[in-house]
Formats: sequence, C-alpha cells, structure tokens
Amino acid sequence: MKKIQKILIANRGEIAIRIMRTCREMGISTVAVFSDADRTSMHVRYADEAYHIGPAASSESYLNADKIIEVAKKSNSDAIHPGYGFLSENAAFAKKCAENGIKFIGPSPEVINQMGNKIQARLTMIAAGVPVVPGTTESLTTEKDAIDTIRQIGLPVMVKAAAGGGGKGMRLITEEKDIVSMVRSARSEAKSSFGNDSVYVEKYISSPHHIEFQVLGDQHGNTVHLFERECSVQRRHQKMIEETPSPLMTPELRLEMGKCAVNAARAVNYEGAGTIEFLVDNSLNFYFLEMNTRLQVEHPITERITGIDLVKQQILIAEGHPIAFKQEDLRQSGHAIECRIYAEDSENNFMPNPGRIYNITQPLGLGVRTDGYVYEGYEIPIHYDSMISKLIVWAENREEAIERMKRALYEYKITGVKTSIKFLERIMETEDFRSGNYDTNFIEKNKAILLEQTKCEENCEDMIIIAAYIEHLDRLNIAQTSKEMYTAQNRWKKFTYQKNFERL
Amino acid sequence: MSIEIRLDKRIASVQILKQFENLLEIKVDDKIYQVDLMHNDEGIFSILNKGRSFNIELVPQTNPKLYTAYTLYDNYDIEIIDAESRYLRNRSGSTQLVSENTISSPMPGKVVKIPVSVGDEVKKGETVITISAMKMESEYKSPIDGKVMIIHVTEGSTVDAHQKLIEIE
Repeated sequence: MKKIQKILIANRGEIAIRIMRTCREMGISTVAVFSDADRTSMHVRYADEAYHIGPAASSESYLNADKIIEVAKKSNSDAIHPGYGFLSENAAFAKKCAENGIKFIGPSPEVINQMGNKIQARLTMIAAGVPVVPGTTESLTTEKDAIDTIRQIGLPVMVKAAAGGGGKGMRLITEEKDIVSMVRSARSEAKSSFGNDSVYVEKYISSPHHIEFQVLGDQHGNTVHLFERECSVQRRHQKMIEETPSPLMTPELRLEMGKCAVNAARAVNYEGAGTIEFLVDNSLNFYFLEMNTRLQVEHPITERITGIDLVKQQILIAEGHPIAFKQEDLRQSGHAIECRIYAEDSENNFMPNPGRIYNITQPLGLGVRTDGYVYEGYEIPIHYDSMISKLIVWAENREEAIERMKRALYEYKITGVKTSIKFLERIMETEDFRSGNYDTNFIEKNKAILLEQTKCEENCEDMIIIAAYIEHLDRLNIAQTSKEMYTAQNRWKKFTYQKNFERL
Repeated sequence: MSIEIRLDKRIASVQILKQFENLLEIKVDDKIYQVDLMHNDEGIFSILNKGRSFNIELVPQTNPKLYTAYTLYDNYDIEIIDAESRYLRNRSGSTQLVSENTISSPMPGKVVKIPVSVGDEVKKGETVITISAMKMESEYKSPIDGKVMIIHVTEGSTVDAHQKLIEIE
C-alpha cells in the first residue's frame, strides 16, 4: 500500500481549495495548476506549489491533459485529484495518468467510459436489477424505427444523446407530428456537440424529484452508500439548493434506493466516490438517471450529516485502504442544506455577473460552513463557472436548518458583483420549500414570489441618498485641501482613535 | 448648499442642516431626518434613524460621480448631480445616459460573434452581437429598425461592463 505524499489538483476555485484542505489535514503536499486568468486565484495562494499551465480558455489550460501530466511529473506528484467538471470524467485522461505512473483519484477509465455512455449505463443498470426510466436500450436507427418505438412507449417522451450531458442533444416530444423533426434535430445537435449522433428514447416524467445517492467503493470489493441528497431546486438544469435527508424520503424507500445504489456501483466494481442520480415521481417510483463518476459539488451536506470527510475517503481508497466502516455503522444525524452562491443577476434571467469583489463578509456561527474562493479585491474571471461559494448549514432538524440558512444568508454580504443570495433567501421563505413539498418545477412554479420587486420603502431610500451625499462631500474634502469646507468628517476613524485613548 | 442625487429613476435634493460630530440633521426633498451616521474610507455606512439600523455600502464606479449602493439585499444606481453635471446635462439637452440606439454590455465578457457589419440594415429584434461570460452566451438584439453605424469591438475581444458595443441609427 503506497502512501500518497503529494497530490496535484487539476482544478480551480472552491473545489481545489476544498481538496487541499483535506490534504493539509492528512500531511499531503499540494500542487496547484493555474491559467493566465487565475494567477491571483485563492487556490494558487493556498497550495504548497503552483504551476502555470496555459491561457485563460479552459480548453488550453484546465482541459490540457498532457500539460497537466507534465506538471505532475515535474513536481513529483504521486496522484492527481480532478475535482468536478474539467477532466474529472475524462476516461482518456485517467488512462494517461495510469500510463505515466500517476494515480488518478477516481474510478478506472473503463468505468468512466461505461457510465459516460448513457445507453451502456442503462444496459448495465438493467442487468444489475436497478430500475431505469422506461425507454430504449438501443440507439434509434431509422425514422420509422423512431416512430414505432415512441408509439410503443407513449408520448410524451425525451430523446437524448447517448454521449450526452448538460442538456445538449435533448428534446422533449409531446406530439406525434413532431417526432421526425425532433429526432433529426436532436441527432444533429448530438453530432456537433459530442461527435456521436446516436440518440435513445426515454419516457418523459413530468415534474420529477431529483434525488441522488452518494456511494463509496474500495479496491477490495466493499461498497457502501452514504444516503441521499435531494437536488430538486434547479434553474436552467443547474442545481441551486440541495438538502439531506430528502423531505420526500421514507425509511422503506431509502432502504430500497440505497440497495439499488450499492448494486449499481457493485455492477461496475466502482472504486472511489460516486453518485447515482435517480428520478422519483410523486408515487415514489424511482428510476436510475445516470451515474456521476466523481465528487459532486454538493458533497458537503453528506459530510455534514454522516461526519465523514469524502475527500479523505477518496484518498485513502486511492492508496488501497479498505473502507473502514460498514453500511450498518453509518447514521444520518440532523439535517443539512446547501445553497450555491452564484455571481449572477437572478432578476435578469440569471445572467452571469463577473467583476471585482469589493467587500465580502462570510457568515459564521453555529452549524455554518462556507466553501468558497473569492476574497476582497479579487476579480472573478469571465472564463469559468459563475459559482463563487457554497453555503452549508447543519441543524438538529429541518425547520431549524431552514431558519439557520436564512440567518446565514442574511449575514452573507458580497458587494461589487450581483449574487443569488437574495433569491436564495426568498426560496427559504416560500411555503412550498418550507413544507418540503417541491419538485424540479419549483422555481418555475414560484417565479412570481421569487422575483417580486420589493425594493425598500422611501425611508430606506432616503438613507442611501444621505450616505451618497456624505460620501460625495468626503471626496470633495479630499480633493480640495482648503480645510473643512464641509463639516461632514469621517467619524469612524475618529471614533476608533478616541476609543483607543479612553482605554489608556 | 443642496445638491441633487439620482437613485435609480428618482432624483432627490439633499441638504445638511446641522452637524454635531456624527449626529446630522439632513433634509431629503421635503423630509427632515435626524440621523447618527458613521462611515469608513471603504464606503461602509452605518446609519441609525429613530433607533432603526441601516447598513449601506457604496461601491464607486468608473466615473467618480457614479456609485452602486448596496443595502442588505438590494442594490441601486446612484449618481451625484452637482453643478458641473447639471451644466453638462442642460447643455446636451438630455440625460447623460447612453442613448437607446447604443447597445452596451451589462457585464464583462467576451465577444463571440458579430453577425452584422457597418452599413447593414437591421430589423428590430435582430441579433447583432453575442457575448459570452461564465460559460453562458447572451444575444443582444437591435432595439430599432435601422442601420449599423459604428461597431466598437471585434470578435474575440473582451469587453468591460457598460462598454459601448454597437450603435444603430
């Protein structure tokens, strides 16, 4: 069993820092890589070593497998942690790591491939006895074949790209007359996005719940699940809030889904941390959707209720250790919620809003964790994801967790860029969220409440005007050295100054 | 001395009546407030008015008379309208705001595509430029039927927030 001494983190932003934190606790040295746009990023400052890997565009830096492996060799790194996104589900990269004697922290290239192809993943799951969304297990060949198959399954259906992801090459068909044209356009989009035009059909499940199970598998055939995460609050097919336990879950359903998740992972001899995503309908029927062969963005809520550091488990498994606990040792304690803080304009169709962070005050206090990477004076680059931080709270029960999340969002202050903080706080106040009665349609359904324009009353506007006036006078005072033209002085400084004297 | 301050679309006139240390008596339009105001050099303001606490942050914009004001959840555009800017306003006969026929970027980003050239006739609603920021592409459409007069940027270049992109007449 080879102890890992040094890990290169092939990622940026909050997840790179998240991984380095665990490395530090385990006494493992960390190597950061960065693009032109990220020289000042926090992950570069936090790491023990940092190397430049290319221009700002991710295709020439964070996706440049050869360059990253070259840096790993130059820095004598034993292993590469890919984080999420970028190269994390790239089988060719995992293979290259192995060829160069570097441990890729994650599953084998074969498993990544098998789960990356949606049709193959469906076949594997069916063989393992895991329910999948009703549909085809072969790609559609002819247009007649498409019409026949879709008639058999019954409208509405989803046509999806086999190599798909991110909503590309995906079409919802509700009317028979659209079948041919929709299949055709899904296929051409799949071809241009993934270089593979094979598409398959699934029954469309309207307003499902999106619930996923965290699994861990080691090199010795042990597999456990770490319970579920409810991820139904989404906008533009991107998650916004996750919580665990799921308000929809019953002990019986958890037992059954957990068993399926473990079977799914066992079916491919899964190594490392992975996630089985399920769709669950209102009658609690569940269907395998896909498997993510990497650490998820929302992993901290699982860590919070199980007390297990998932990154540490990934590293121990990569070193060859057997998992130190059994399924029956695991408990869900309390309730955890995560809110994703995006630099975006929620009121303007969630348009991204990069820029310079002017002031930032992160929430603290009982049961609060933030995984972020921006700091005062940091310029958020335009080239990467708009998520700047994750706010995770834990409490004894769901009601308390919601109140705590509201309190933490209230404390969270970021100026200089627009953020999703206010939007998230409104979600915490909606009846549907508080009662736990929500599905993937939640944001659409509650749009009117969530986007309500409640600017502050006139009194408060006047206070802003007063502040602006004083600020303006201050500037004039600095510009015109003729003393005390205006009497509004900077009292904050003087106050501190006087207080210091009083203490003497 | 009173000056005018614009908050989003509202224009208010402000005047200090009295000051004793951090206690101020200030008139905003026709309302008089007694406030306890403390602030630091970074634009952080704490204002107490009849016991109510207001937390405000002012972030300066590129032009020294423009700010973005942040309260707990909202943000506002602030413009100081002093003698100089009032003079400029009157002389140009209109506001300083960019004209409606100019397309500018609300955020920093990268120009992905400009499907039009100078001199082209465009219809209202036709896409004239695509900007990408943080993995998301946004299309900007012509606000009027008209002719492309000036294109300030090129494909592949990066743009700042509020930068002029294309002018149409």
